[in-house]
Amino acid sequence: MTMMTDTALNGSRARAEAISRRMRQQDRLFFWLTWGSATGVVLVLLGVLVSLLWDSLPAFRHFGIAFIWTERWSPAKDIFGALAPIYGTLVTSAIAMVIGVPVSFGIAIFLTEICPKRLRRPIGTAIELLAGIPSIIYGLWGFFVLAPVMQQVVQPFLINTFGDLPGIGILFSGAPYGIGLLTAGLVLAIMILPFITSVSRDVFNTVPVMLRESAYGMGMTTWEVVRYIIIPYTRLGLVGGIMVGLGRALGETMAVTFVIGNSHHIRASLLSPATTISAAIANEFAEATSPLYTSSLIALGLILFFITFSVLALAKWLIGRTESF
Amino acid sequence: MSIASRRYRRNRIAMVLSAGAAGIGLFFLAAILWTLLWKGLGAIRPSIFLQMTPPPGSNGGLGNAIFGSLAMTFVSILIATPIGILAGTYLSEYARGSKIGEAAKFINDVLLSAPSIIVGLFVYAVLVVPFGHFSAWSGAIALAVIALPVINRTTQDMLQLVPNSLREATAALGAPRWKSMTFVIYRSAWSGILTGVLLAIARVSGETAPLLFTALNNQYWSTDMSQPMANLPVVIFQFAMSPYDDWQRLAWGGALIITVAILALNILARSLSGRRSS
Repeated sequence: MTMMTDTALNGSRARAEAISRRMRQQDRLFFWLTWGSATGVVLVLLGVLVSLLWDSLPAFRHFGIAFIWTERWSPAKDIFGALAPIYGTLVTSAIAMVIGVPVSFGIAIFLTEICPKRLRRPIGTAIELLAGIPSIIYGLWGFFVLAPVMQQVVQPFLINTFGDLPGIGILFSGAPYGIGLLTAGLVLAIMILPFITSVSRDVFNTVPVMLRESAYGMGMTTWEVVRYIIIPYTRLGLVGGIMVGLGRALGETMAVTFVIGNSHHIRASLLSPATTISAAIANEFAEATSPLYTSSLIALGLILFFITFSVLALAKWLIGRTESF
Repeated sequence: MSIASRRYRRNRIAMVLSAGAAGIGLFFLAAILWTLLWKGLGAIRPSIFLQMTPPPGSNGGLGNAIFGSLAMTFVSILIATPIGILAGTYLSEYARGSKIGEAAKFINDVLLSAPSIIVGLFVYAVLVVPFGHFSAWSGAIALAVIALPVINRTTQDMLQLVPNSLREATAALGAPRWKSMTFVIYRSAWSGILTGVLLAIARVSGETAPLLFTALNNQYWSTDMSQPMANLPVVIFQFAMSPYDDWQRLAWGGALIITVAILALNILARSLSGRRSS
């Protein structure tokens, strides 16, 4: 009798142990699956970095570090320099920021402070839908709709109004081509609106209701609350939002490719055709005939990667600092 | 003028300007959508879905490009979804708060914000050059690299929202961790994770830059993933930049199709996540 219970007990204990061993094994398998996937993401980024470094090596070895500040780009003679695309990337993004940032802040202020509650969601959604439109559509629209308007209306106006002024006149000189730095910057400005608006709305909403209400209670106007309470409180987060938009603008490819004009010459006028890093790669990579040409384009990609990486790191750091208020 | 009236006037100006800013945003959305409808609607007939991309000057459709886009998007999501969800699980469940976890999260964000053309360069270097030719596989993998960080990030965010008491309750029942994850935690976060997958689909189906030198293009009907394959974005790019009227018409038709599809996905994703928060 006792012997039998013992064996039965032993049997069930063995079974229980077998089950718990199997569960431990499954748990370990699950852990390693998730670990492997997370490592995979890290490896992909490393792969991107290593492949860019490796493939851009011939260009840097041939031209040296001077590649970065050489303007000349001559596929026929196998001479390449990155200055014109870097210049175009920075200038188009700067134009996009100058136009896009105030408008985005305006939209965010409108949505958080003025807009009737009922309209908040539909208008907010509509603005965010701008982020959903693929960049090639922006390019198409920029080329066929915006560029003709720029050529016939906006650029002649700018040339006539500012073209003769000393100093800034040089920015608005030359013929109205329609396409060029200014048009590309304008398209980028529209594209980054939803991103900066969305971050600004989020940080505006972190302002404690108490703070906002006390300011109104003191008799401040809406604008004064925004100017003296909300903006100072969310300053770092707003700069973070600008950085998010800037990162987008710097790396944008297709929309810019349509309207930039693809010229590797640096001209002072904002109305002149130019090129950006991403547009140069998109336009020329498939046609690059010599290995040095290909490698130079990949070196451009590496430079772009470093620029967007620094902007992202700065944005993270700034947004992180508002959250820890 | 009294101080008060000056303050009110300044307030009114600021308010009008910010409402104007919202107006500008809405205007551009409307302008883009209107252009698409105006120029694209004329090209939408059954033949655009059924016929192949034509040589200039003859009739045709975008059938092969639509198929190629669907196929490559499908494959890329098939690859990116499990890896993204598992990676997000690791970062949110196992590595929460640890230094390595934070670093891995940052790296995922770097990948998320990397310009898509750079992803194209990378996949070109590792999958096109070694095999010696462009292929739909490499295009799908480039798209997967773009979708992966999106899914990873949303999974992290959504798992973070699952209350810890659920994890503790399943642990107290003696459930092993993987069971607790698959039977309880994923189920309570599924609508959020699905939103992430939908947003990833919306994001990759409009991507052009990474396909330019991976999948390339193909004038003919092809279902062979190891060969170049037509896809909507690249066809739109090529046709729009061409001087031929009928190609440009097709480009606008394709642009309308792709935008409507992507905006529909966005709205669907939004309504899913809206239902959760309400």
